[in-house]
Amino acid sequence: MPMDHIERALASNRADYCEIRLERRITTRIIYHGRRLETVSTVVNEGGIVRALSSDGGWGMSTFNSLDDLTTRVEQAHASARLVPRREIHLASHPVIVDVAPASPALDGEGITLEQQHDLANRYNGILLGYPQIVDTQAAYIDQHITLTYANSEGTRIIEERPMAMVSLSATARDGTNVQRAGDGTSSADGYPAMLQLDDLARRVATRATDLLSAQTVVGGVYPVICDPRLAGVFVHEAFGHLSEADFVYANPQARDMMVLGRRFGRENLNIIDDGSLPGQRGTLRYDDEGTPPQRTPLVERGILVGRLHSRETAAAMGEAPTGNARATDFRFPPIVRMTNTYIEPQDASFEEMIADIDLGVYACDAIGGQTMLETFSFSAGHGYMIRQGQLAEMVRDVVLAGNLFSTLANIDAIGSDLAFSRSGSCGKGQGGGLPVGIGAPHIRIQDVAMGGRQA
Amino acid sequence: MSAQNQHLEDLLSALSRKAEQAEVFAVESESTSISFEAGELKSSLVEETRGIALRGLVNGRVGFTATSGSADPEPLVERAVASARFGEPVSLALPGALPGRSVSAWDASLAEVPLDRLVEVGREVIARLREADPSAKIDVDIERTNMRATLCNSAGAHVDQQASAFHVVMSVERLRGDDVLMAHDSASSTSLTEDYREAAERLAWRIATADRSAEADSGQMPVLFTPAGSMVLLLPLLMAVNGQNVQRGTSPLADRAGEQILDTRFTLWDDPTVPGRPASAAYDDEGVPCYRKALFRQGVLESFLLDLKTAALLGTASTGNGARGLFSLPTPSAANLVMDAGERPLEDMISDVERGLLVDSVLGLGQGNPLSGAFSNPVGLAYVIEHGEITGRVKGLSLAGNVYELLRTIGGTSVERQWVRGRYLLPHILLPKVDVVRSKA
Repeated sequence: MPMDHIERALASNRADYCEIRLERRITTRIIYHGRRLETVSTVVNEGGIVRALSSDGGWGMSTFNSLDDLTTRVEQAHASARLVPRREIHLASHPVIVDVAPASPALDGEGITLEQQHDLANRYNGILLGYPQIVDTQAAYIDQHITLTYANSEGTRIIEERPMAMVSLSATARDGTNVQRAGDGTSSADGYPAMLQLDDLARRVATRATDLLSAQTVVGGVYPVICDPRLAGVFVHEAFGHLSEADFVYANPQARDMMVLGRRFGRENLNIIDDGSLPGQRGTLRYDDEGTPPQRTPLVERGILVGRLHSRETAAAMGEAPTGNARATDFRFPPIVRMTNTYIEPQDASFEEMIADIDLGVYACDAIGGQTMLETFSFSAGHGYMIRQGQLAEMVRDVVLAGNLFSTLANIDAIGSDLAFSRSGSCGKGQGGGLPVGIGAPHIRIQDVAMGGRQA
Repeated sequence: MSAQNQHLEDLLSALSRKAEQAEVFAVESESTSISFEAGELKSSLVEETRGIALRGLVNGRVGFTATSGSADPEPLVERAVASARFGEPVSLALPGALPGRSVSAWDASLAEVPLDRLVEVGREVIARLREADPSAKIDVDIERTNMRATLCNSAGAHVDQQASAFHVVMSVERLRGDDVLMAHDSASSTSLTEDYREAAERLAWRIATADRSAEADSGQMPVLFTPAGSMVLLLPLLMAVNGQNVQRGTSPLADRAGEQILDTRFTLWDDPTVPGRPASAAYDDEGVPCYRKALFRQGVLESFLLDLKTAALLGTASTGNGARGLFSLPTPSAANLVMDAGERPLEDMISDVERGLLVDSVLGLGQGNPLSGAFSNPVGLAYVIEHGEITGRVKGLSLAGNVYELLRTIGGTSVERQWVRGRYLLPHILLPKVDVVRSKA
């Protein structure tokens, strides 16, 4: 999409603020299910969103596939904005960015044939299928190339390429009516070449699903729990991270009270950070979807709440500075406050130290999912092990952690040194799912975690 | 013939020259939505969508592509054919022109409803919820959509369907210190109906009833699931009757058609013919006529949900449940899930519970291993029932069990039914003995 088309449309704008974001997403998917190659497709999704802010109204937006008549979209967004009764909406100021350098060539799928991509998915699927009790698999190779053009009425102009390759593997093992599943995946902005060395990942997935067949459901109760980095990362993202998004608090006085800066959330050992500028992680950005550069934002320091994540709108509403966290799933959505790479900072506890004084506990690994209702949360670990007399013991399944956020954060009594980031994190918020985020943590130990499960 | 139809026919004939069977699927939609945040109107959005998907069978293999951008026939056909080189070998036969039922899923007048009227609906909902709790944060989203889907294929089908949808989604968030109440409800229809009033009443009831708190200990107890709360029981069943899981052999019900699986009081339909529902349609997204079918009749497994491909792989006929987004191949999906009403009024069911729970939502729905029927979820919104009375909201509990064991003997279902998530019409379901674990130390 040539910039001059956008310039003309912006020149016609009569709203106080107007921005245009256009996207072209080319996605190739190769998906094996069991022995069947179920999907081989390349699809093109292009379109855009115009967002207008009117001082005698509110936000007006127009989203569309056809890029033919941007000027009409600008007018439509302004008209929508004026339908809203006058609201006090302001945008925190930030530097005008002009960054329209052409993308570096030969990234991602270019030069890689559909056949090579297919062969890779087939190879990983073959590894999964090589295990006798595996009855179903999914091996997906996905290559996505997003070209993004952003311009606003303040003068910011950005053209950005966001390439990504992703492999996602899962295996289902079955023994009679006992059906167990395991999965894992990875992604990289470096494209196909970064997806070539995943044989071990595939073996781990198949072995895990098979092992789960003979694992017992964990006995419900209250335990000391060691979470592996994956689960700890998902926990901090879901249970804490979403509450530090300023759009949760800025229009809700009760939420402001709950998330007041200076409140103690954890012990002295707890530091939580969101950082979209970390190199090479899944939530790493050049700019957020309002053109604000990403930054390192401490959220919790020494157990105390010290910061939150902002868009330009929430920053202005709370008299704080934008943090580069305005993100949109795609052009169907306006940017809202979202996390980038959110992690627990490593400390110095070793795994041996954490486990040594646990008589009866659970080592919970991997995250199938999590849901929170503010202070109440539920997380499903992919698998776990009982800890008995300071040693790892038998594998257990259906490990679901539940509890209260505030008491659980305060119960983190040991944090490891082995910070690791997941490369397959996706975040859903509102109607917008599938936003890539970085999720990181070292091993952590939490006292008194409630676990659903069978009765002893 | 309209320009769009001509374009689709041109695409079809271009693809037909390269493929034994060819299909073109196109969607166009326009929607308008408004959002209230914290009780105030904040934004208004106009959304236009269009796109075309091509599916072809080339040498017995499936090729697929889709675009929302340029629809030049040549590159599109080329991409579809290229993907067929690696595509899945399937012996499916695209349907010809088949007679469909007349199903009411489109109200042309919805598009003409002035925006001011939508704003009025929002204000009315907010006023009702404020009455229930003046301090809570109330968000309301209202959307009206008009959609047209066109499908033509080389077997002679040409299906042109219009649909409309009116959605009102409302949520409340109440924080008293660290005590949190989050609850939501919604109403969907194909016309501007007043269903949203009932949704607002239900939500107001939830807020008011959560004002008092109550306690419950671990143990086995009767649990009455509201229609919204019943999703935790229905989700495993829905996955198990889905043709994809049946065909892959991962469904525990794969080879059990005709068997008594659930309590005889449990009858569940897939009904695409319910008038005035956004999920209703005369044809599915592959041009197969839709019809009403029992998935479980008096507890006996009667039918699976199949699209063309899963039906072909299972050696049977599609049940008219092919569903697709623009950018992916069709997969089986239920239209409206309708459960038969029970015989007892809800009020009587509650008064019969000596000590138990009323569960309206759980956290982490679908996490874990739902295909196996197992669930283990903390309650989101739940109430204690004591001596036949609802005494207050209870927190810090988890439910665990397996739906195949629990639904073998249910304690009954209510006469009253409600629409949940726009497409599930469900009664309250009473289970006599559910494992409840208190999760607070």
